[in-house]
Amino acid sequence: MNASTHAALEQEIAQLIIDTLNLEDLQAADIPPQQPLFGEGLGLDSVDALELALALQKRYDIRIASDDRDARRHFATVASLAAFVASQQAACAH
Amino acid sequence: MIAFRLEGWRAWAPGLESADDWQTWAQSPRVMPDDAQTQPSCAFLPPLPRRRLSRLARMTLETAWPLCGEDEQLPFVFGSRHGETSQTLTLLSDIVERQPLSPTRFGLSVHNAIAGQWSILRGQRGESSAIAGEADTFEHAVLEAALQLDAGASSALMVVAEELPPPTYAPWIADVPFSYAVALRLGKLDATMETPTGDHWQLRLDRARGDSPCALPHALNFLRALLTHETAFEHTWKTRRWNWQRTR
Repeated sequence: MNASTHAALEQEIAQLIIDTLNLEDLQAADIPPQQPLFGEGLGLDSVDALELALALQKRYDIRIASDDRDARRHFATVASLAAFVASQQAACAH
Repeated sequence: MIAFRLEGWRAWAPGLESADDWQTWAQSPRVMPDDAQTQPSCAFLPPLPRRRLSRLARMTLETAWPLCGEDEQLPFVFGSRHGETSQTLTLLSDIVERQPLSPTRFGLSVHNAIAGQWSILRGQRGESSAIAGEADTFEHAVLEAALQLDAGASSALMVVAEELPPPTYAPWIADVPFSYAVALRLGKLDATMETPTGDHWQLRLDRARGDSPCALPHALNFLRALLTHETAFEHTWKTRRWNWQRTR
């Protein structure tokens, strides 16, 4: 994946977060790719994580196992989510 | 018999937000057009705390918010006969279509969820109740708030909120012509108070004599009577006749 498609995916995921979690008045640009989504960063919590996982699965047709130990790492930032989605899509394409 | 001082009120419906809007509406009450989308902004909350508020929750918070002081703890009563019909229908539809349920929607699909959100967002640690009655849920909410006064609170906050039901439910829900929320702040009547403010009201329950039900939802008719300075009126539902009187 080249840099511009990666940036586009990050922007798309930031927008998905805003739409899914109903973060009115926020723009995709308000969620920098490296900003932590949970806790001290954007301030999302565990219910948001579940909601987001559902939306990602629907949108990108990927599977996120509920017992995936790496989930916490994948969900850390917009950048890590984009990388995760890209890798899942690549895996499915093979 | 219940007696209380009305310390304040706020109300919201589509197209009716300010006290002036309601004053005009009270002179000639009409059914407000409701697109089931228009909702209060709750601009006093940042986007993150606002994200899980349903339309009914926003209506409740928007009206209750200014009636509670910054450092005040007030008993809270949430009354709604039908609750979140649109949220319920969405959840049920997802089940029928074998779609996963939204964790947020599911987590908030209890009648006291809005009272809980009020408690969290306003840091209220006192009593709160969520009730659902029949078409006279309004009077039962007043009763509940009056019981809080009787138990020692000097003031109590109550909100009655209803949302226009989705068309699927329309054949069974006849008492919500449009979405509305009415918040009242009730105060204890104190004979020793030298300069009492606000109107004094009495509510008495009698047996109905076959009177016809009120054309408006009871909370809205109370508001209409309040704003048009009516001094006495009745709300009848089944065997119950609620007798309202303004005493000063």
